[in-house]
Amino acid sequence: MYIDKAIVVENIVKRYRVKKKVGFLRSATEVVEALRGVSFSVNYGEVVGLLGPNGAGKTTTIKVLATLLTPDSGEAYVAGYNVVKESDKVRKKIGIMLSVEKGFYGKLTGRENLEYFAALYGLDGRRSRERIDFLIKLLELDKLGADYKLLEEFSLGMKARLSLARALLSDAPILLLDEPTLGLDPPSARRIRELVRDLAHRDGKAILYTTHNMFEAELVCDRILLINRGVIVAKGTPQELKQRIPKLRIVTLSVKGRDNVGSVLNKFGTKFDVKADENDLYSVRIHVQNPEDIFNDVVKRFIENGFEIISARIEEPTLEDVFIYFSEGQQ
Amino acid sequence: MSLYPLLKAEFRLVYGELFRRKSAFIAMIIYPYLFAGFTLFFGYTIGSPNLFIERVGIDPVIFMITASYIVMSITAVIDDVLWRPLSDTYIGTIPYILASPVNRIKLFIAIPIPRLLAMVSMGFTSITPIYVLYHGFRGAVTALLIMALVALGALSMVSIAIVIAGLVHTISESWRILNIVRPLMMVLLGAYYPRIFMPFAAYAISFLIPSSHIVEVIHRLFIGSLDGIYISLAIAITLALLYMPGGMKSLMYWERRKVAEGVKTY
Repeated sequence: MYIDKAIVVENIVKRYRVKKKVGFLRSATEVVEALRGVSFSVNYGEVVGLLGPNGAGKTTTIKVLATLLTPDSGEAYVAGYNVVKESDKVRKKIGIMLSVEKGFYGKLTGRENLEYFAALYGLDGRRSRERIDFLIKLLELDKLGADYKLLEEFSLGMKARLSLARALLSDAPILLLDEPTLGLDPPSARRIRELVRDLAHRDGKAILYTTHNMFEAELVCDRILLINRGVIVAKGTPQELKQRIPKLRIVTLSVKGRDNVGSVLNKFGTKFDVKADENDLYSVRIHVQNPEDIFNDVVKRFIENGFEIISARIEEPTLEDVFIYFSEGQQ
Repeated sequence: MSLYPLLKAEFRLVYGELFRRKSAFIAMIIYPYLFAGFTLFFGYTIGSPNLFIERVGIDPVIFMITASYIVMSITAVIDDVLWRPLSDTYIGTIPYILASPVNRIKLFIAIPIPRLLAMVSMGFTSITPIYVLYHGFRGAVTALLIMALVALGALSMVSIAIVIAGLVHTISESWRILNIVRPLMMVLLGAYYPRIFMPFAAYAISFLIPSSHIVEVIHRLFIGSLDGIYISLAIAITLALLYMPGGMKSLMYWERRKVAEGVKTY
């Protein structure tokens, strides 16, 4: 089933029962709905971003796919195997990167840590050595002293690289990366983003990448799933998602002149805001569905009316705008 | 998946921790002396060595250093198996272990062996000098024999420790229960408190602990009563093997429960 798809998630629901103290001896159980019918799929050779704020259900989704959490209902398949009924087979097909800060043995060096986890995947001897050598070079850990430095001496950036190296140890075709650049310095974050894209586009791996960083999602992901309060509120490529909120496309102009700006723009019949600055300088924002259609006409009309154009551009909505738009829609 | 790479990995992990954490290494060497010294101090203060020899049949110094060595070695195995799921949860490595295709039972068999080897080798610094002091060359040979028996005794505890680990860690705050299980095991092993002096209920429970039979063999070696030692050895090995399927089931149960509630990923 679903052999051609790397990941298929169908209507997954997960509720946590949280005990809360309500008295000295009494406690009440509160049900928190972490996932409320999440469905999506990931193909080989693409990076799919699971984007959402803290508590949206990103890590819960990753845990279900990594066989670390049983869903209450719904089904999930990884490499064609059911994550609940065939978890042993799923585990051979995935590489996971969870918390960057924890998850290693402090008194072992970076290399020794990788050797330990390689053994868990049945890698031994020359095969293990060669793979670890390759990964240490790939992630430039050799330059950072991962061969001789104990893990407890590692910086967060080094731990993140080592964590990605561990996810790649078994050369699994599917990678589940949970906020891999969280708290990293810009060079380390950039290196990881580059590698993730390469792993998907060059090596054909399927990557599910969670983040709450909009900028990063736009840089790394081929497709994005916006998740909020356990529900996928929108999905598509970053461009598609932006185009789905046309009211946010804006033509922004800065013009200088004495004429009435409103009379110039009334002809276009669109919503606009004008802010008058000093010295006859106006900031104009025109809300329009297809800004490309009117952009040249607007500029031309201002010039015809004796305005001097200081700047003119079409503003694209950011992924953040998209996220806010869909989250508000959900509420 | 063979046991060998897992053993190698565990050796690297445990010896990395042991030799790079000097305080742990020094503690490991001096613990049998501390245990024995402490017990002997109280023993000599409130009791008579002659009475001890009369009742137990062994010189108290030999008895206490041997008992301390046995308890240290066997509890090292129990501790490694019982506490490992907790320490891996605390360190944050547990999700990587559970999400890997590693054979759980093989991993748990491999876990205690490196420390066991270190603890058994500690016999060279704990019991051997004392035996040689008391019995000369014959003492050295006895020490080797005791070390071999302790290794067997400790190994025979692996399966029952896995059974207990799987069951205990399904309960929240399992470390509280472990803190009860550990001293109970130490008593019921019969190392400090020979089984022949135990009340029936304690004796019955002790009988179910594989290594208690090995401890009895060691005790018999010292008092020169060798009747039935092969039967004791056979009982220990049989019990250890009988617990193994239970160990597998217990681990699977633990994993199922962990996954149902969600493995902590920090």
